[in-house]
Amino acid sequence: MERNKYPLYFSFPAIIVFLLFFITPTVIGVYYSFTDWNINASTIKFIGLENYKELFNEPRLKQAFTNTLIFAAAVTVLQNVSGIALALILNEKLRLRNLLRMIFFMPYVIAPLVIGYIFRAIYHPEHGIVNKFLDMVGLDFMMQDWLNDPKFALFTIIITDIWRVAGFSMVVYLAGLQFIPKDLIESASIDGANYWTRFKHVVFPLLAPAFTVNVLLAMIGSMKVFEIVMVLTEGGPGYTTEVFYTYIRNTFSSGEMGYATAINMLLFALVTLVGVPVLMAMKKREVEM
Amino acid sequence: MRKMKAVYLTMVFLLAALTLAACGGNNGNNTPATNAPEKTAAADPTKEPAKEPVTLTFLIPNTDDATPYTQIFKDFEAKTGNKVEVQALPGGDYDNMLKTRFSTGDFPDVFLMQPGTKQYVKLRAEETLYEWSGEAGVWDNVIESITEFQKDTSGKAYGVPFGKTGMMGVFYNKDVFAKAGIEPPTNYANLLEIAKKLKDSGVTPFYEGVKDGWPTQVFYLTGWVSQVDQEIGDEGVQKLNVNGMKLSEITALKDLFVKAKEIKDLGLFQKNTLSGTFDELQNELGEGKVAMAFMLDGILPQLEKKFGNDFVKEKIGFFPFPSATDTGTAMITPPNQLMVPSKAKNLEAAKELVKFMISSESVNSFYKLHPGIPIFKGADSELYPSQQTVQEYIDAGKSKVNVQNRLTASFLDLGKILQGFHISGDVDAAIKEMDTNYVKDGNSKRLEGFE
Repeated sequence: MERNKYPLYFSFPAIIVFLLFFITPTVIGVYYSFTDWNINASTIKFIGLENYKELFNEPRLKQAFTNTLIFAAAVTVLQNVSGIALALILNEKLRLRNLLRMIFFMPYVIAPLVIGYIFRAIYHPEHGIVNKFLDMVGLDFMMQDWLNDPKFALFTIIITDIWRVAGFSMVVYLAGLQFIPKDLIESASIDGANYWTRFKHVVFPLLAPAFTVNVLLAMIGSMKVFEIVMVLTEGGPGYTTEVFYTYIRNTFSSGEMGYATAINMLLFALVTLVGVPVLMAMKKREVEM
Repeated sequence: MRKMKAVYLTMVFLLAALTLAACGGNNGNNTPATNAPEKTAAADPTKEPAKEPVTLTFLIPNTDDATPYTQIFKDFEAKTGNKVEVQALPGGDYDNMLKTRFSTGDFPDVFLMQPGTKQYVKLRAEETLYEWSGEAGVWDNVIESITEFQKDTSGKAYGVPFGKTGMMGVFYNKDVFAKAGIEPPTNYANLLEIAKKLKDSGVTPFYEGVKDGWPTQVFYLTGWVSQVDQEIGDEGVQKLNVNGMKLSEITALKDLFVKAKEIKDLGLFQKNTLSGTFDELQNELGEGKVAMAFMLDGILPQLEKKFGNDFVKEKIGFFPFPSATDTGTAMITPPNQLMVPSKAKNLEAAKELVKFMISSESVNSFYKLHPGIPIFKGADSELYPSQQTVQEYIDAGKSKVNVQNRLTASFLDLGKILQGFHISGDVDAAIKEMDTNYVKDGNSKRLEGFE
C-alpha cells in the first residue's frame, strides 16, 4: 500500500522563510566580508581579500583562535566524559535518581549570563566561596584570583561552562542508555564481563548515536562560545581570554562591519572544516559498530 | 486535484506575502495624531493646520541619571502639551545602537551625546544632524569657551551643550588623610611620599579598578594634562590629530607608564588589583579602607547614594595629578551635548524642546538635582567642595580639557591595553599597542592623515 504523502509545496512557506531570513543574509554576509563597510563611512566599496589579509596579521585574532580551540577541545572532551559518567550513575536504581537528574540538568536551563554573574561572586578572590573554602580547609596556598589571573582565567571559564552543559550531555546519554537491550548486558555479565568490560564492549558502542550528537553539539557550541566569556571576563584581563565571538563583538562595536563579517566567515569556515570531518568519521564509526 | 493544487499554491503565496507584510514598517506614520492635520489641511488649504501635541523621543545612555531630565520634560509638557518619552539605552552600546538606528532611518527626536566635535565625525553630522550655530536663543546663555568648543573648524555646531563641566583627578578621603597627619601633595614626589606614609599606617593608598578596565585610564588622562601637555603643547596635540606624531615619540607619556608601574611595584595599590571594580572602590573609599583613587566626578553621586550628601561634602577632597614641580593642572571634561537629527519626525518640536532645556529655569532645575560646575551664565549650582577645588583651578587658568575630547580619533580599547600592562609591566609594548589602536580608529573613522 502506498503511503499517503503530503504535497511538496506544503514546505514552501518554511523554505521561503528559511531562504529569506537565513540563506539570503548569509550570502549577503559573504559579499560584505569583501567590502570596506564601516559605520563611519557613507559608501561601501568592494576591496577583495583585503579584510582577510588584515585578519591574518592581527595578533588578537591569533589569541582568539588559540583560546577558542583550547576552550572547544577541553569542553568537548570534559563535557562528554562528565555527561557519560553522570548518565551511567543516574541510570542505576538510586533512591533520589529523578531528583538528582533534575539537579544536574538544571544549570543548562539557566541563562549563561545569570550563571556568569553567580560565578563572578563565587570566584571573587577575597569574598568568593571558592577561596573561602580553600582557606577553611587549610589549602590557602591554593587560593587564586581565578578570573583575573591570566594563568587561571581560561581554565576557570572552561570549568564553569562544563558545570553548565554537562547535564545536557547526561540527558542525551541517558536517552541512549534506555535503548540498550538489557539482555545484552545480562548475557555479558553471565559471560563474566566486569563493569568496565561491559561498558567498553557493550554499552559504549551502542551509545554511538548519542555520542555523535553530543560531540558535535559540544564542539560546535563551544567554538561559538560567547556569553559565559563575556560575563565572566569580557575576554580579559587584557585579551588573555579573548575568543572568536568576543573579538567579533568588539570589532562590530567599533563600526568595522566588513572586517567583522570577514572574521565571522573565518569562524564559519573553521566550524565547517572541523565539524564535517568529525561528523563523517563518527557516522562511519556508528556503521562499523 | 488540479483545483486543489491551485488552492494550495494560492494559500502558500498568501502566507508568504502576509509574513512579509507583517515585517514591513510604515515609518511610524500610523498615529491618528500625525494624520489628522494633513486631512484638515487638505479639506481647507487656506487654514493653517492646528498644532496637535506630539510625543517626542529622547535617548539617553542608561549610565546617566535620567531624573533631572524627567523633571524638565514634565515642565515642558505642562507648557507646550508635548510629551517626551525617555528611552534609556545600554551605556556600553549606546553609540552603536544610536548609529544603527540612524542607518535604519529610525531617528529619535533628541538625544544626549558625549562632548566634542569628534562626535560630529562619528555621526556624519553634515548629513544627519541639525546645525545650530546660527540659531537664535541658543547661545546667549552659554559660556563663551564652551560655545567655541562646540564649533568645528568651519564654525558649525551640530550639538547644543548641556549639563556641567566634568573633572578627573585624585579623590581622597579627608578623614584618612587627617588621621595620618598629611595634606594634599605639593608635587608628584610628594604624592609618593604621602602614599608610602599611608601604607605604613595600614591604609591602602590607591585603589585601581582594573577588572572594569575604564577606571585605569584616569591615571593616564589626568597625568596627560599635568605632564604630557607640558612637553608637546597644543601643537603636539594638533599633530596627533592628523597622525603627524607617534605616541611612542612622547617621553612624558612613557614616563606616565613608568610611574604607574612604580606605584604597582611599591605595593601602593590594593591587594588583588586585577579584580578591582568601580563599585568596590566606592565602598572602600567611603569606609576609609582606601585613601585615594584616580577617578572621574561620576563617583560623587555614587558616593552620595551610598554614604549621604554630608559625607560627600565633608569627607571627600580632590586634587589634580601633581606635576614634577607643582600641584599640577586640573583636567576638565566639557559638558555633554543635545543633538537633533535633521530628519527627526518632529523637528520643530524637538528644537523647541532643546531651547526649553537650556532655558535658565530648566538649567537651574537640572543643577538642583545634579550639582556641578555650570556651563551657563548666571546659573545657580551648589558645588561640592571637590568641585569648588576644580573651579579654583579653572579661575586660576590651571585647567585643561581632557585630551580625548581634543582629539578626533580615540585611544581605542585603552582599558584593555592597561589591563595587559598591569599584568606584563611592559611599557614599550603598551605604548606600541596604544599607537596601533589610535591609528586604527583614525583610519576606521576615515580621518585625514590616517588613511
